[in-house]
Amino acid sequence: MLSPGQRMLRALVAWMVVGIFFFPIYYWFTIAFRIDKEIFEIPPLLLDFTFSWQSFEEVFGITIGAKGGLEVVPGGGNYYMVPRLVDSIIVAVGSTALAVTVATLASYALSRMRIPGQHHFVFWILSTRMMPPVAVAIPMFFIYKNFGLLDSHLGIIIVHALMNLPLAVLLLKSFFDDIPQEIDEAALIDGASRFLIFRKIVMPMAIGGIAATAVLCFIFSWTEFLFVLTLTQTSLKTVPVVSTTFVTSTGTAWGKMAALGVTAMIPAFIFILLVQKNLVRGLTLGSLKQ
Amino acid sequence: MTDVPTSVKPPLQRRFISDSAFPWLFPLLALLLVFAVYPFFYNIYLSVHEFVPRRRALEFVGSANWVKLFSDSRMWGALAVTLIYTGVCLLIQLVLGMLIALLLDSDDPGFGFLRGLLTLTLVIPPAVTAMIFLLLEDANFGVMTYYLQALGLLGSNPILANPSTALMGVMIADIWQWTPFMVLIFLAGLRALPPEPFESAVIDGASNWQVFRRLTLPMMSKVIAIAVLIRGIDLFRTFDYVYVMTSGGPGTATYTLSLYAWQQTFSFIKWGYGATLSLFSLIVILVIAHIYVGLTKLKW
Repeated sequence: MLSPGQRMLRALVAWMVVGIFFFPIYYWFTIAFRIDKEIFEIPPLLLDFTFSWQSFEEVFGITIGAKGGLEVVPGGGNYYMVPRLVDSIIVAVGSTALAVTVATLASYALSRMRIPGQHHFVFWILSTRMMPPVAVAIPMFFIYKNFGLLDSHLGIIIVHALMNLPLAVLLLKSFFDDIPQEIDEAALIDGASRFLIFRKIVMPMAIGGIAATAVLCFIFSWTEFLFVLTLTQTSLKTVPVVSTTFVTSTGTAWGKMAALGVTAMIPAFIFILLVQKNLVRGLTLGSLKQ
Repeated sequence: MTDVPTSVKPPLQRRFISDSAFPWLFPLLALLLVFAVYPFFYNIYLSVHEFVPRRRALEFVGSANWVKLFSDSRMWGALAVTLIYTGVCLLIQLVLGMLIALLLDSDDPGFGFLRGLLTLTLVIPPAVTAMIFLLLEDANFGVMTYYLQALGLLGSNPILANPSTALMGVMIADIWQWTPFMVLIFLAGLRALPPEPFESAVIDGASNWQVFRRLTLPMMSKVIAIAVLIRGIDLFRTFDYVYVMTSGGPGTATYTLSLYAWQQTFSFIKWGYGATLSLFSLIVILVIAHIYVGLTKLKW
């Protein structure tokens, strides 16, 4: 056992290490909330910067009046990003709904029924998780071009759902595997159909796991970069991709970029704290339970 | 069949109606078929063709793209960069992740909060992480540049514009974002260890290092194997950080296979060659991953 002094030392080191990891997030938040010219100060201002909503005002196309009233800027201005946030939400919600629906059905079958070659099938699903995104994005670009899905929300929703399917299937299977098979069998003997059992018994019991899966799918869609970069042109862009367009030949709009980044981070932070209990299971595709 | 009451169906028929897996799997199979199998074969089709700008059409070129691939020194360079990136990041994340996990494996007040705080890096879009580190490593006003120079650890060369430090500059972003991934997985493993063997080892007078080496590591082997597999795959596929931070530069110092394939396709309109490169990286990762899964006997 550790002595009180050792425990103090351990706590001190732990706070310092996590502090180092937290610093870039803290600094990015301060960039979003400071006036533009203080971004370029040398030595860098870590604590005593001038607080300002200016970057957020430009990103949301509003001005905050002296008395606290909000005024909407007509046309939104050059850095108006609300439509891009809406794009991100549509894509993340849509792809999550699609992936979770399809995966819930499939993983129930994989967990409960005898399927010939099941082991190989599960491993094949895992293999699709190994595909380099670029190996999917290149053919997808040409396929979407033929089907008119380029630059459409539906196209990105499908490809993000596809990207999340291996995770969703394997993770949900692990949650269904936790529910004793005997419950299904008892209901089957009583004459309930598989679908009724699924809907009325198994799904309610696995609802926590389904929610955790949905949160992870949402986050991976929310943060995805390469597919959106490749498969969209003008009519939609999600936050990660549009962030990089703040870099121009005349300089980088760090303040606005940080304000947009912070806006996008906050929902993700809240979501990830909600699923702490199932996070490791999710990150390891259902193979490790906490 | 009419004389059989509906509630007592023959076993075979009942099985067929209520227990067939096919309807359950159908949506998944349909999606995977259209959007995973078809693109795979489309990739193969593209890899034996090349876009001819003069005719604005794809032309069959046979194995020319594959011959070109194996004699392309930039491809071998990109493969080397990818393997270095994967290996170095994996090793650092593994060691650092284990050390921090051991550090945070405590029930003392505050440690739960610290573990929660550490998970936040995982949900930041990698492209935004790349931007954050672009700012921190900026040659003129970057915090990292400033303090590294103040400590005498960095010369006057900008980190990302210098071929000898650029790759490290990109890897720092990856290491920052994903070391907590390792920490969380290892922590889950550490917390699940049974206490008895450790108690008896302490009674027998084993040193901390002996306990770690002889008990903790072997008992954690499955956890470590899974973490290495998942992280290794993602490192090998890396694209966002290099694309945003350096676009492969300076020169070819930070070209990864994914970035090279992407640029060949979309910047240089070499559709056939780009598809060949992406297929090649797919084959490399699948072969390595399958050997690894076979060796470590991982099961899902």
